[in-house]
Amino acid sequence: MISEDHVTLKTGVMMLKIQDLLLSDDEEDTKRVVRSAKDKRFEELTNLIKTIRNAMKIRDMAKCLEEFEQLCRAFLKSKTIMDKEGVPQFYIRLLADLEDYLNQLWEDKEGKKKMNKNNAKALSTLRQKIRKYNKDFETEIASYKEVQSCSPDAFTSSSGSDDDDDEGITAKSLLKKKPQEEEKKAPEASKFLKGAADEESESEDDEESEDWGSDSVDSGSESEDNEGAAASLAVVFLKKYDSRRKKHKKKERLEEEADEEAEAEEGGWEKVKGGAPMVKEKPKMFAKGTEINSAVVVKKLTEILQARGKKGTDRAAQIELLHALAGISNENNLGEGILIKIKFNIIASLYDYNPNLAAFMKPDMWKKCLECIDELMDILFANSNIFIGENIAEDSENLAISDQPFRVRGCILTLVERMDEEFTKIMQNTDPHSQEYVDNLKDEGRVCGIIDRLLQYLETKGSTEEVCRVYLRRIMHTYYKFDYKAHRRSLGLQGETKSEQDQEESEGEDSAVIMDRLCKFIYAKDRTDRIRTCAILCHIYHHALHSRWFQARDLMLMSHLQDNIQHADPPVQILYNRTMVQLGICAFRQGMIKDAHNALLDIQSSGRAKELLGQGLLMRNMQERNAEQEKIEKRRQVPFHMHINLELLECVYLVSAMLLEIPYMAAHEFDARRRMISKQFHHQLRVGERQPLLGPPESMREHVVAASKAMKMGDWRTCHSFIINEKMNSKVWDLFPETQCVREMLVRKIQEESLRTYLFTYSSVYDSISMETLSEMFELDLPTVHSIISKMIINEELMASLDQPTQTVVMHRTEPTSLQNMALQLAEKLGGLVENNERVFDLKQGVYGGYFNRDQKGGYQQKQSYQRGKHHSHQRDPHRSRSCSPVLLTCVGWMQLL
Amino acid sequence: WTIHVSVFQVVMKIIKHYQEEGQGSEVVQGVLLGLVVEDRLEITNCFPFPQHTEDDADFDEVQYQMEMMRSLRHVNIDHLHVGWYQSTFYGSFVSRALLDSQFSYQHAIEESVVLIYDPIKTAQGSLCLKAYRLTPKLMEICREKDFSADGLKKASVGYENMFEEVPIVIKNSHLINVLLWELEDKSTAADKHELLNLSSSTHLEKSLQMLMDRVDEMSQDINNCLFFIPLQYIQRRQQENAQRQSRGEPPLPEEDLSKMFKPPQPPPRMDTLLIASQLSTYCQTIKEFTSQNLGKLFMAEALQGTSSYS
Repeated sequence: MISEDHVTLKTGVMMLKIQDLLLSDDEEDTKRVVRSAKDKRFEELTNLIKTIRNAMKIRDMAKCLEEFEQLCRAFLKSKTIMDKEGVPQFYIRLLADLEDYLNQLWEDKEGKKKMNKNNAKALSTLRQKIRKYNKDFETEIASYKEVQSCSPDAFTSSSGSDDDDDEGITAKSLLKKKPQEEEKKAPEASKFLKGAADEESESEDDEESEDWGSDSVDSGSESEDNEGAAASLAVVFLKKYDSRRKKHKKKERLEEEADEEAEAEEGGWEKVKGGAPMVKEKPKMFAKGTEINSAVVVKKLTEILQARGKKGTDRAAQIELLHALAGISNENNLGEGILIKIKFNIIASLYDYNPNLAAFMKPDMWKKCLECIDELMDILFANSNIFIGENIAEDSENLAISDQPFRVRGCILTLVERMDEEFTKIMQNTDPHSQEYVDNLKDEGRVCGIIDRLLQYLETKGSTEEVCRVYLRRIMHTYYKFDYKAHRRSLGLQGETKSEQDQEESEGEDSAVIMDRLCKFIYAKDRTDRIRTCAILCHIYHHALHSRWFQARDLMLMSHLQDNIQHADPPVQILYNRTMVQLGICAFRQGMIKDAHNALLDIQSSGRAKELLGQGLLMRNMQERNAEQEKIEKRRQVPFHMHINLELLECVYLVSAMLLEIPYMAAHEFDARRRMISKQFHHQLRVGERQPLLGPPESMREHVVAASKAMKMGDWRTCHSFIINEKMNSKVWDLFPETQCVREMLVRKIQEESLRTYLFTYSSVYDSISMETLSEMFELDLPTVHSIISKMIINEELMASLDQPTQTVVMHRTEPTSLQNMALQLAEKLGGLVENNERVFDLKQGVYGGYFNRDQKGGYQQKQSYQRGKHHSHQRDPHRSRSCSPVLLTCVGWMQLL
Repeated sequence: WTIHVSVFQVVMKIIKHYQEEGQGSEVVQGVLLGLVVEDRLEITNCFPFPQHTEDDADFDEVQYQMEMMRSLRHVNIDHLHVGWYQSTFYGSFVSRALLDSQFSYQHAIEESVVLIYDPIKTAQGSLCLKAYRLTPKLMEICREKDFSADGLKKASVGYENMFEEVPIVIKNSHLINVLLWELEDKSTAADKHELLNLSSSTHLEKSLQMLMDRVDEMSQDINNCLFFIPLQYIQRRQQENAQRQSRGEPPLPEEDLSKMFKPPQPPPRMDTLLIASQLSTYCQTIKEFTSQNLGKLFMAEALQGTSSYS
């Protein structure tokens, strides 16, 4: 019993200490110096008391004595403070307890006999000392004992009462400087009745509540014996006591919580000070009967908010408190002003919940956040007489109900923007292949809804700047989505009747119209460059996505973004890359192969498309960046549902490269200065060539390589079958909205380019070729063949002429043979060689006496060495050019001959 | 100085050696045996070096040669070492390796020669066998191992006077001559028409390709030459001096250049020289080939003309 008692007492002391500290926090700033001194003293005292109690527990009288002497000295030292503040209750309690304890020991003859000599001696000394010492505190001790005897049941059934009792008393006495037993007794009891329970439910976690439940069952039999108020008190205390004991075991963990509790109480206590009645309703945070008006609530709100950001503040509890406060203000009809104010703060605290910027919100938090914002929007819409804004100063707020419109500080736009960011963060941190991702993605609709509502709200109330910001948010949620409704409608115009539901679905504005409206507003009104840049890029992206190639291209060219995008911040650059890719893919769909290739070249040639589009980090440069950079990069990633299919991108790029490169290669087979159009495509070709054994193509790349090889031979059918087949359809082509158009375009392109390649490659074999044959071979109609060949002739790619009456192409045979080509190459190289030789010669002439005359010291004079140098260079250098000349002559001779 | 080569013991053996072991650009080598008689070197016999394979790396060539010569001596054949032979691929034989080995031969045995056998030309109908020696000047340089620009300059060695070609006279024994006469009677006319083969482009293409490769090497060498001099500094200094001169001030001394820059290792001259020499050899062969072919073409034209007229 005793030992248990001490355990609880100890906890009580600790609690007291914390409370002391916190309470002192409440005092006015002017008392700061005194307070710190007081704190120090009290800490010293409580520490000593703690050791004494420990010593008592193990019956170490020697230790007890020693510590007691120290305690007396410490008490003397803090005499001045005691005079001012009164003797602290815990000190009195220790004295009383110690005396009781010593008397008890003294009477226990047998126990005394068992004691060793040292201890026995110390016991007697201590007993005498304390008897003498306690005479100074007679009144205090007497009053203390009286309090205890007032609730004898509680005292006897559970010594835990001390604890709580003291908490109340001490705090009170410190505040009011002298105990007021009469006044206190009744309210104290009632406080405990409610307080204990509330305290538990309010600030202790679930685990503890479970303990509570089981405890109440255990103590059930005990409580039956007692009756009336005392009995219920006992029950409460028992429970309290038990949970406290548990608490002690988890002391470390709970320390923080205790802190919290104390804080919560702090609030409660302060109300006592302010309001006249002493009845405390802690969960409601206001004293019962207090006239709950806006001023009080605001005060309370500020109090709660003061704890924000402090170390050790339980953020979850804070959110709860705010919610409770909102409830109260709602109950008391304090008006929307205050409600909005509280809501703002709730949302802010929700955002604050994660201390780390990188961490994302938990689902329940997120749900709560969405709800809150929704409610907030409801209020704002319902009451048009509320002004909110960042620029409204705290003191010019008008929260109370009056004739004036409400004025509340806070920015709903910032909150929504933050919400949007949180949403992105959640999506970034969810596994994109899980059901969870889909579930999370469903919230996108809500997010969009909120943004839409905000947009409506701000359109009537906000400044243009705010409108721009919210428009951009709206755009950001629109630009990457393909508008199936509009697409279907454009198809549906041809008389297709849909089901009712479909028709219903297709109601509403086209996203293109919305984009146009929002973007144009931003172009006109925006002052910050960034929003406009983003809006332009999104607009282009949206155009490109919906195959409005010319609009997209013109916008891109007009914006001049290509020139200065490198100065933008990384997220904008990522957006730019995404836009360029989309533009390229759009061009491809429209059959502008060259444009598609150019748009995609930059992204693809680096081989880092994934990184450039913000769709994942590359593993290989792990050593190039540290963990910090990686975190930043991770934060920039685009959520999965916005990704651009990389395989599609690569395929589009490779196919366009194939369509450009293969005819080009055929045309410039012997050209020494032939340049590659696409390095990546050549790389793929080489990879394909390196294969020792060539099986049927599997991957997309292999298909393209195989198709390229077929095209090289002018075999368009094989090429076609490699590019468009089941596998490629499912991998790539079916991903386009207008699959069929794209495929038709592709077939046509393949036919045309194959024809060109065929003519380049085999023109030397023909004297003439009928266009009809060509048109049959490539399944192109005659005019097309005619136009292609004419174009080639005009561009001087094909040395031929058209014979109109017979519809044939007559070859002119002006292409040099391979030997002639070689001779030309050689002549070119020799030219370079001679040039180089001359440069060396010039240099030496100019540098005479420099490096080459190192050996001057051998007695030569400047002039002599000059001659020597000249002679030398004459001797050596021209012979090189001479060695070339016969070759040159030979070449020229051959050229003439052939 | 002439070289007399016996057909049967030497020429046929070399050809046979190549036919059996060399193919494509692979090179076969062997030892020439003979003796010096008055002012002529008579090569009377030869034997091939065995082809190296990877697994007998410890094969001792010198040991093999000595063994071979000793054996030949036992059967009373000329056993004096007078040089070596080597096959070539489209006339590419001027290399550092050839220079080094010929030098060591000539250094040890004064009258040593190297016989170069061109199988491709031979296949086109005219036996191509040439004998080369290093010129005394080059010998001098090689002996002193001074391949710097100055050394070559002093010895006035250019690419054209590195090797000297020695005329070859092919001698047969009378018996063999008789046999040849007999064979000629028996052979059909078609066998001789290889000589009149008109297709030339493959051979020319190949030669041009090789020529081009060498030219590339040459260009690279010259580039190295260009960049080995601290070019920019020199130019700046020159400009400065030009300015000073225009102002009438004495030009800055230029000697300190060598002090400021630690003179870098000058690029070796010998390789460039060899490439130049090889280039000239190529040109020579191409010239020969083309002139021959031109002759053939004119002949063919004339023939065609007569046939069409008739």
